[in-house]
Amino acid sequence: MVRVITIASGKGGTGKTTLTANLGICLSRLGKKVLLIDADVAMANLSLILGMQSSPITLHDVLLGEAQVHDSIYDGPQGIHFIPSGLSLDNYKRVDSERLSSIVKELEDSYDYILLDAAAGIEKNVLSAFCASQETLLVTMPTSPAIADALKTKLVAQRLGSKVIGVVINFVMGEKGEITKQETSSILELPIYGSVPYDSEVRKSFMQQNVAPVSIRKPDAVSSKEFLKIASRLTGLKVQENIVEKKGFFSRLFSKFRKK
Amino acid sequence: MLKKFFKKISLRTKSDETSKPAAQVEFLMDFLSKHNYIFSNDFGENLEILKKKHLVDSFLVTNFDGSIIVSSSIDSNANSITCTAMLSYIKSEIPDSDAVLIKRENNWLMLFTLDKKVFIVEAGSELSSLELKALAFELSGLLEENKSFLKEKQLTREKNG
Repeated sequence: MVRVITIASGKGGTGKTTLTANLGICLSRLGKKVLLIDADVAMANLSLILGMQSSPITLHDVLLGEAQVHDSIYDGPQGIHFIPSGLSLDNYKRVDSERLSSIVKELEDSYDYILLDAAAGIEKNVLSAFCASQETLLVTMPTSPAIADALKTKLVAQRLGSKVIGVVINFVMGEKGEITKQETSSILELPIYGSVPYDSEVRKSFMQQNVAPVSIRKPDAVSSKEFLKIASRLTGLKVQENIVEKKGFFSRLFSKFRKK
Repeated sequence: MLKKFFKKISLRTKSDETSKPAAQVEFLMDFLSKHNYIFSNDFGENLEILKKKHLVDSFLVTNFDGSIIVSSSIDSNANSITCTAMLSYIKSEIPDSDAVLIKRENNWLMLFTLDKKVFIVEAGSELSSLELKALAFELSGLLEENKSFLKEKQLTREKNG
């Protein structure tokens, strides 16, 4: 049976789109049929992260009733399918995001996982994503403002009937001032699906001639390994803990020289 | 031992000027307890919880003839008749209309239909039709639960003579 999951956070810049792209790729690697939908109709950029910016028919056209949903599906990397949102501002005000539920329903039989990349905030577009999905996965950072927004997002998702299954903590740097995994879990009353370390490779992935998510460009990067763990957890596979090795003083020192 | 020694040095030399905002963590820990929407066996109490959960001031569910099915406010008779009549009129003129939103001086009145019932919702700000439907689904669920609870109660009463 298909699982329709919205990736949401409330706060902007937490890495929702990066998680959606990489999670989709990892789920596909685990043998699942995956569709990613860019549900951020105003500030769409999942297509940029996937390196698929030139798609003539988008979710905007489908929501406007000007195209069929099957015409807006594109083949993405690693066997995933992808529905982009339009990058132009021309149509987004005319778009009726409430129709998202019926679009998702139409596609449910063809996939194992449908991931909706939601916008930041709790405006109508985000509400539409919650209504279209049975489950929500929150993304946050180990800081109080991000967690406060995640709390509100959790309440809104529940109000609209989407079950919040867990939380992914992104940009973890291991600093003393960070809110820990355990604290985040108790504040949000949710299980932690993953803790993605800050990884410059994620940033570098956007800065290439051919943009591709870090899971494709650098599958051995610490963040890629964590994305795979999150995907495994979602599918119910046993997850090997402590994949991310803690670096000692010398290895850190040598790695700095290596960088130079 | 050597490894431990160097590890200590590396920790000391690593500059980390951050510290945990303990008061904020404590505040956030308490956040969800203030937003616990757990339904009980008391129907009236559940209506109050539903109001808080969906951020509305009051709601009223009626049949198309204006007869009240459930109401969360005391003064609802006049509202039920006027609102149902108005909604019926608008639906007859604009058949594909989904909801009617009326801006009043201090709040909004929202009228819509679902499952042959009329829902009249009053709130400080306007709700999207997605939010209105979510409230209506939950309210309908509560009504069904209450119906079967009352039926069960009646059966037990009959059994006990």
